[in-house]
Amino acid sequence: MTRDAAMAHLETYLAQVRRNLKGLSEAEVREVLLELRAHVLDKVEGNLTPNTVETALTALGSPRDVARANVTERVAAVMETQRGFFGVFAAVVRLAGLSIGGFILFMISLVGYGMAAGFLFVAVWKPFDPQHVGMWMSPGSYTLGTLDHPHSPEMLGWWIIPLGLLASLLFGYLTFALDRFCIRAMVRSSRRGRGA
Amino acid sequence: MDTNRSPPSEDEVAKWETQLRKGGLGLAVLATLWNGRLYGLEILRRLDSEAGLSVPEGTIYPLLNRLKTEGLVASEWVEAAAGHPRKYYSLTDVGRARVRDMAASWTSFAAGLERLLAPLKGDAR
Repeated sequence: MTRDAAMAHLETYLAQVRRNLKGLSEAEVREVLLELRAHVLDKVEGNLTPNTVETALTALGSPRDVARANVTERVAAVMETQRGFFGVFAAVVRLAGLSIGGFILFMISLVGYGMAAGFLFVAVWKPFDPQHVGMWMSPGSYTLGTLDHPHSPEMLGWWIIPLGLLASLLFGYLTFALDRFCIRAMVRSSRRGRGA
Repeated sequence: MDTNRSPPSEDEVAKWETQLRKGGLGLAVLATLWNGRLYGLEILRRLDSEAGLSVPEGTIYPLLNRLKTEGLVASEWVEAAAGHPRKYYSLTDVGRARVRDMAASWTSFAAGLERLLAPLKGDAR
């Protein structure tokens, strides 16, 4: 009975860790939980009671902190090995579910890369549909992209191609740089917080 | 110019020591694996008993995972007599070369500092 209660206590803790392991694959989550379970069972050295399990869990830290450490270190590791766009964006996605800061960074990245994609589309599509792709000014607003029935003369003409490419590069690079900077800051902050 | 600064408080020295230990933690973890594979709790116990490094337990697995992603350690699950599987960590060839280089740098750095600090010996409180 005591053993069952101890195991139930351990499983409750692991379930709480699992809930906070957002952004990891199912295989990674399984690996983390298996290792934590093995750690606690090793720590109690056969004396499996709710008290010994509680002592071992206290030494590990709160489920949220343990989960956060696992996610941020995996993010840091991925950033070290995949320094390109996909590695950095994957790190942003992982951090999105971990904190409000991570979620805000994810939203900013979506807007930034969305703008980059929009400018790229305009620059690339202009030669194929020159009458309907461009930049128009109507009272109080600008429209950049495609219009089926433009009511005013297009403003940029063929200049929209180099300008669109430049703006796309700029938005893409600045978003990428911001992502890298913020992720490193988050990882550093997480390590400081847990004394690692 | 302010020449009457108070000596650093014990808190400041403790903070500095924490930073120093953090800096050496990666090397220490790799060094524990020099003689063969160990599982997480064994690594923690060796760090504590042989180097006086008390590491927050929840931080060792993320650190080991990072070393694994960097290709410095490998891991494998082994069915243990304890009744549950254990994940053992061992140095890869790259990790073995890295820890050797790190140890050489550390030894050289420590020897230099030791010479510099020699006059303080006997005067330290």
